[in-house]
This record gives sequence, structure tokens and C-alpha cells, in this order.
Amino acid sequence: MIDVNSLCKDYTIKHKGAGLSGALKGLVIKNTDVIHAVKDLSFHIDEGEIVGFIGPNGAGKSTTIKMMSGILTPTSGSVLINGEDIAKHRKEVVKNIGVVFGQRSQLNWDLRLGETFELLKHIYRIDADAYDKTMSVMDDILGIKELLDKPVRQMSLGQRVKGDLVASMLHSPKVLFLDEPTIGLDVSAKYSLRKFIKEINRVRKTTVILTTHDLGDIQELCERLIIINHGVMMEDGNLKEITDRVAPYKTLVVEYYDEIAPHHEKCEIISHEGNVARYRFAKSDITAADIIASLSSEKAIKDVSIEEAGIDDIIKIAYGK
Amino acid sequence: MSRSFDTLRHYLDVTGVNIKMAFMTIIEYPANIAGWMISNPLQFIMGFAIIKFVVETFGEINGWDYGQLAFLYGLSVISHALSMIFFVQGWFMGWYVIEGDFDRYLTRPLGVLYQFFFTNINIFGITDLIPGIIVFIYGCVRSGVRASFLFVIQVLIMLIGATLIRGGIYILIGSTSFHTRSAVDFGQYTQEIMDKTTMYPISMYPESMQFILTYLIPIGWVSFYPVSSLLGIDNGISSGMITAFITLAVGILMMSLAGAYFNSGLKKYESAGN
Repeated sequence: MIDVNSLCKDYTIKHKGAGLSGALKGLVIKNTDVIHAVKDLSFHIDEGEIVGFIGPNGAGKSTTIKMMSGILTPTSGSVLINGEDIAKHRKEVVKNIGVVFGQRSQLNWDLRLGETFELLKHIYRIDADAYDKTMSVMDDILGIKELLDKPVRQMSLGQRVKGDLVASMLHSPKVLFLDEPTIGLDVSAKYSLRKFIKEINRVRKTTVILTTHDLGDIQELCERLIIINHGVMMEDGNLKEITDRVAPYKTLVVEYYDEIAPHHEKCEIISHEGNVARYRFAKSDITAADIIASLSSEKAIKDVSIEEAGIDDIIKIAYGK
Repeated sequence: MSRSFDTLRHYLDVTGVNIKMAFMTIIEYPANIAGWMISNPLQFIMGFAIIKFVVETFGEINGWDYGQLAFLYGLSVISHALSMIFFVQGWFMGWYVIEGDFDRYLTRPLGVLYQFFFTNINIFGITDLIPGIIVFIYGCVRSGVRASFLFVIQVLIMLIGATLIRGGIYILIGSTSFHTRSAVDFGQYTQEIMDKTTMYPISMYPESMQFILTYLIPIGWVSFYPVSSLLGIDNGISSGMITAFITLAVGILMMSLAGAYFNSGLKKYESAGN
């Protein structure tokens, strides 16, 4: 479906000294730095996958997704969608993709929502039957029909994002790119958006590629994560695999009736304050139940809880590498 | 062949929707209409009043009498108005480059330059068209031009050429923003230069400047050469029917150059960070 082959993107940045003298020097001597925003990225995405691109700000996620959707021309390497190079056959290939930018609407600000849809209907040559069918699916998921006559400038952010999602799906693209779609949305708007992504993926087998900083998006949507930092791929796999790889530990928190905590041969006590001790153990090595059984045979236990590395921990570890 | 015909039909279809939406947008903000209806025509009527004053004081400008100057001025304003309707966005290209506004056009299956101009078609340009037509008709009457079929065809062809030359220049200037990554608003300067070189006969300028305006930046073809040919005034370069076609050819050449330069710039387009 999508093949990304040794994709690179360099930016040239003009270097200027500080102050007026620096600015004047800059006029005469051109100091340029080449920044490698994306370095030798390769991966493959199958039809029907939902892939989350994550990474800190400036990691190269947006640059990658913009090269994949035909906006930026790669410095080297290629992006093939259905076997066709998007940089070389942009007009043909983009018929198969939909793009939503969380911070940039494609809706006509001055007119009612329906007018933007009308224009898209002509741009993508969508016939009336297909249009009606898509609209009824979209109405079921997002309740879009009641917004059709509303001028876009009067819409809330949540309504506008709904409008943008439907606009990007009108021509039934095989791939949908979403660049930080949930940014600034309230809980219920985020819920509809996630429902929308799951539904189109289930009903239409649409491949979805999204960048996000929202842990909820990742947890609920992404079967596969690609973690990028400094333009390089750090991790590629599903959440569980990545967790097992970067954070193969769990922490057992045990509260006793006094301040003495027994040791366990397969655990490391990482902290011990008052009556509470924290035991770290390898998931592959032993189960929490075994540890509790063995500890409780030595001392009376008041309470236990298990801490797993959350997505935020995993991201922190992965980003930090 | 049938494929390119199909493509053409598709673009015309989308253009129709864009024009319809442009009208709907105007109707959304009726207060703007009155403002443009007054200020735009006034600007050109004033410009014409200055020419009238100059001619009445000095008798003529470089051998061109009042009627001939009105003819030149009128046609120049008409092609200016047409370029305002279709190509005025070129003035703002730098902002599109910096703000990353080409993103949306790049993800749609149509030409980027086409979308850039036609989704922002400027219906208000019509307000410039009207004074242009009035002054032009006045010039025709004053200089005793007979509006034969051939004459009308030549005028139409040269207007298309002139509009393309103007549009091509806007695109060439605007596209430099891809390389400089800065948005200088050249629109006003371009307009000043265009006004001074298309509303008066360029034969009044020094020869070096005439050379530049003929061969390097072909503004002379926007009005001076085709108009002098239409009026039978010797311009030393071209005369007769052929001039209208040369104007058209220069327009197509400028547009092709501008398109190629724009597309090469688009490869360097960097969008905008989030």
C-alpha cells in the first residue's frame, strides 16, 4: 500500500550573527547550515492499518507526513502509494489520499459548509450516488448533515474538525493522513473523532496515518506506532511490543504494617519510604502473583498495587535514546 | 486527444463552481461592494483626468493626440482589470509561501497554479473594467476608429496576450519567494511600474529603456505595440494584424516561463511548521 524508501529531507538554514554587525556580515558572507530534518527513513504500511507517528516537537513527523502526502518534495528517497511515486505523479496519486491538518482548515471560511463539499465534489468528480452514500455514512458517524447549512466562520473548533474530516473523505480515499487532528479539541469532540477513525477503518478499510501528542489517541487507535526523533526512526511496532522492548519492567508497590520490608531474589527494591516499598521486576522473569505470594509468606501485607510503564514513560524512554 | 479534452472540461467545470463561490462570497459581505464600486473606478478616472490635463497643456504626448491616448489608456486599464480578476493573487504569493498555504492545493488533484488563482478569483476586478471600457470607447470615437470585425478580433487577441504578460510578470516576481523565503509585497511597486509604462506611449522614454521594455521585461507588448499597430502609428518594431498575434505569443511565452519558474520553486517549497 505505502512504501517509504530511504526518505531524506534536508533544509538549508541561513546562519546570521547577532545584532546589526551580524546582519551586515550575513549580507556579504553567506553562512548556511544544512539541517537533516528526516534521515534515511524506510518502512512499509499495509492496507487497513492505523499507524501513529509520534515524537517530540521538531522530530520530523510533520515533515515525513508532508512528504508522504505530496506537499514536500523529498531531498532523496521516495514515497510510493499503490506503487506510484507521489513526488513524480502528484496529481494522479493524491486522488487516493485525504489529508486533514488539525491547525489548518480546508473549508471555505465565508460560506456554508455545504459549499466546500460542492466544490470538492467537482474537483474529485464524485458522482451523485457515491456522494450521497458517503454523506449518509458520515452522518451516521458524525451527524454532519445538521451542519451543512451553517457558515464555517460560525462553527466551533469541534464542528470545523468534523467538517474537515468529512471533506477529506468525500472522494473515498484509500489513505487518510491526519496531522495532529485532536489538537485543541474537547473530550466529546475527541471522542467523535476517534470513533470516526475507527469506523472508516472498519467499514471502508481506509489506511490511517496520524501524528499526535495525545496519549489517548495512541492508546485507543494505533495498532502500530512509529516513533521518530531527530529525523530518525527510533521504534516501529505495536504498543505492546515497544513497551516490552523499551520498558520490560513492572513495579510492585507493597504496603506493610511496619517499616521493615523483606527482599525478594528476583526483584530490586527501587524505593522504600515508611511502610511502602517498591519492587521492580522483569515481566518475562516472574509474575506479580508469585512475588506477592512469596513476600506475604514472610510478612503480613496491607495493600498492593502494580505500576506498569505507561505510554508516556515509554515515549520518554524512546525519545531520550 | 479525448483525454486532454476531458481534462479541459474538468477544469472548466471546477472554474464554474469557483466563480459561483466567488459571487456568493461577495454577497456575504455587501458593505465591501459599495466601497470598491466607488474607489476603484475613481482611481482610473483621476488618472485619465491627468492625461487630459497634460494633453490640453502641451497639445500631445510624443505625437499621440488626446483620442489616441484615451484609446491606449483604456485598453491598458482593461488588461489591467482582467489581470486583477484572474491573477491578482500573484501579488500575495510570498505570504502563501511563508504561511504554508500551498499545502492544501498540493494535496488536490489539480494544477497548483490553477488552484492558486482560480480559487481566489477576484470578481471585484470588474470595477476596474468599467472605467477602462468607457475610456476605450471614448478613445475609439475621438480617433475615428471603425469597429470592424477584424478590429474587434485583434483587440480581443491582444487583450488576452496583454493579460497573460501581466499575469506572467506577477507570477515571476511572486515565485522569487520560494527562493528567498520572504514575503515582500511587490504588488504596489509592480503596479506603479506597469501604470507608467502601459498607460503612456513608451516611445517617450530613452532608447535603452525602450529596449528593456521590449525585449527583457516585455511590458511594451502589453499596450504600446499592439495599440500603435491598431491605430496605424509607426512604432519601429511591428505593424499591422501580426502585432496582436505577437502580443499573444509574448503572453504565452511569459506565462510558460512563469509556470516553469513557479514549478521549480514549488520543489523548494518548505510548507510551514506547526
